[in-house]
Amino acid sequence: MRILMIEDDATAADYASRGLSESGHTCDVLADGSDGLFQATRESYDVIVVDRMLPGLDGLSMVRALRAAGIRTPVLFLTAIGGIDDRVEGLEAGGDDYLTKPFAFAELLARLNALARRPPVQVVKTTLVVADLQLDLMQRTARRGGQAIDLLPKEFTLLEVLMRNEGRVVTRTMLLERVWDFHFDPKTSVVETHISRLRAKIDKPFAVALLHTVKSAGYSIHAPR
Amino acid sequence: MHPADLLRRSSFRMAMTMTLVIVATLLLAGGVGYGLMHAQLSGRQDARVMEMFRSLELAMQAGDQADLVEAVTSRIAASPDQASVYLLTDQSGRVLATNIQGVAPPQGWSSVPADLDGITANYPYRVFTGTSGAYRLSVGLTDADLDDLREIMAGSLGWSALTVLIAALGVGAVLATRMDRRLAGVDHTMNRVAHGDLAARLDLSGRGDDLDQIAGTINGALARLEGLVEALRQVSADIAHDLRTPLNRLRIRIETASAKAEDGLPITDDLAAALTEADQINQTFAALLRIAQIEAGSRKAGFALLDLGALMGDVVEIYRAVAEDAGQTLVAGPTGPHQINGDPELLTQMCANLIENAIRHGPAGTVITCSVVEKAGRICASVADTGPGIPKPERQNVLRRLYRLEKSRSTLGSGLGLSLVHAIADLHQASLALDHSNPETGTGLTVRIGFPAV
Repeated sequence: MRILMIEDDATAADYASRGLSESGHTCDVLADGSDGLFQATRESYDVIVVDRMLPGLDGLSMVRALRAAGIRTPVLFLTAIGGIDDRVEGLEAGGDDYLTKPFAFAELLARLNALARRPPVQVVKTTLVVADLQLDLMQRTARRGGQAIDLLPKEFTLLEVLMRNEGRVVTRTMLLERVWDFHFDPKTSVVETHISRLRAKIDKPFAVALLHTVKSAGYSIHAPR
Repeated sequence: MHPADLLRRSSFRMAMTMTLVIVATLLLAGGVGYGLMHAQLSGRQDARVMEMFRSLELAMQAGDQADLVEAVTSRIAASPDQASVYLLTDQSGRVLATNIQGVAPPQGWSSVPADLDGITANYPYRVFTGTSGAYRLSVGLTDADLDDLREIMAGSLGWSALTVLIAALGVGAVLATRMDRRLAGVDHTMNRVAHGDLAARLDLSGRGDDLDQIAGTINGALARLEGLVEALRQVSADIAHDLRTPLNRLRIRIETASAKAEDGLPITDDLAAALTEADQINQTFAALLRIAQIEAGSRKAGFALLDLGALMGDVVEIYRAVAEDAGQTLVAGPTGPHQINGDPELLTQMCANLIENAIRHGPAGTVITCSVVEKAGRICASVADTGPGIPKPERQNVLRRLYRLEKSRSTLGSGLGLSLVHAIADLHQASLALDHSNPETGTGLTVRIGFPAV
């Protein structure tokens, strides 16, 4: 995956780009907003990471200019100001996701993976399949190995988010945002509790587990390797 | 106040301007009155002079010089103080009878000055001179009345103008001084504010005048400013106080790890612990900023009409399993539907915080009941638990940032839960009340938040 990172904090940029390279991606780093805009329009990237506050041209204006130029490359905003308004502003300017600093590297990687593989045009899928687990989005039903599984509405959404990201790590924060619409960090183990309930339904009665915990990163659903 | 400063005071200048206008009007009115009176009086005087002339004219036409001189002389004798004057001459200019010497008034109306030989009066004369038969006669009356009138008018107008001027100066000075004192108060207060004393307030005279209104508005702005700055100061103080401890713990962890690494010991556990500390610091920081942001009131823009009952029901649904895992029971009581105006994201967090507090501070077996009901025109959301509760004296304190009950220091959390709830309630103009769920045994905590109904 080819990543363009526009970040003026050299330490953070170095840390992130080294990690991304080690994960097998190529990462170009620029420190200036207008240089970033020029580079983004000239070269083709899978995903662009933009800091909100940049010298030259701030992140918001940069992404607005990018979108105005018709470039649809997914953009992830990095922001030190974790306010709700800032987040909404970023998404409205044409960003696809955001991450508040300081962040765990696993979180950044998981979000970039999810962004880059998001199909440019959303193919309307009515059934998600992972190994012998099937999720029918129209009928709102789940089956595994021909056996019907009874899911609560939120459990269904949780499983849907995981299955849409088959084989990729989905972090705890991503789940909180996408399943429960929680934009704060709960003090109790909400995610863990619901994951364990879901596991009891889709994995426990069967021989092979599909839902895996990725240590200090999040969760991933995939067929046995 | 220095007298020279007086001229610069707007109140004094206004009083002076008013005075000048009044004095000018007074003088104009007086002048017109004088003119009218003067015209009337001089008309009458002329008629009298003419009457005196006519009465002698008959004698002049008769031509008997002795009779004529006799008539004029007797009239002169009848005016010993020279209120009226006569001059009779024949055609050659020889004076036959007179009480004014050395003048030759022209034919018709004329004025004879007072400073003539043998005249004691101070006033000029109004004189008519005519020729009849072989004689020429001048008859005149003193101008004393008209002259006195002019003096009286000039005097009275002058004095009253002077009196008005002096009175206006006095009143202007008093007004200017009083206004100056109030403005000096404003000046002084604003100077204190400029130097950082945001608690300073303008004095109100209590008269409800325009200055009071402005002072009221300024005081309102100052109160809001003070609140904001205090909130900011509080945040800085809280951050300094509450982040120093975990930062210090983090430092110790890293120090330990680096010492162990030098000895070649495994340090994975220390690093994991350091990471947890760092995350904790980050969470506390985020929560503090969020409270500050909410308290600054900048989130009003996100308000929308929503069903608080449904929102509470959703949050209960999310936490039911969490409570079950902790051996507790979370149930939804009556929940609506009840419409209020609010920020759905913040209200979700508020409900979540209340439920999480109950779960974290209650032992196994605790029953938590959440409900939304309409009571006395307000939409009242409540979360009631059967846990240990909060002693009455501690209740105000738990709403403060970072405050935690002594015994809950051992449990996780930053102590920001209830103060965040407080801030969110304030933003929604909602009342917040803490109570025992069971007043008889003094146990359990019930948090009630009353929102204004739409």
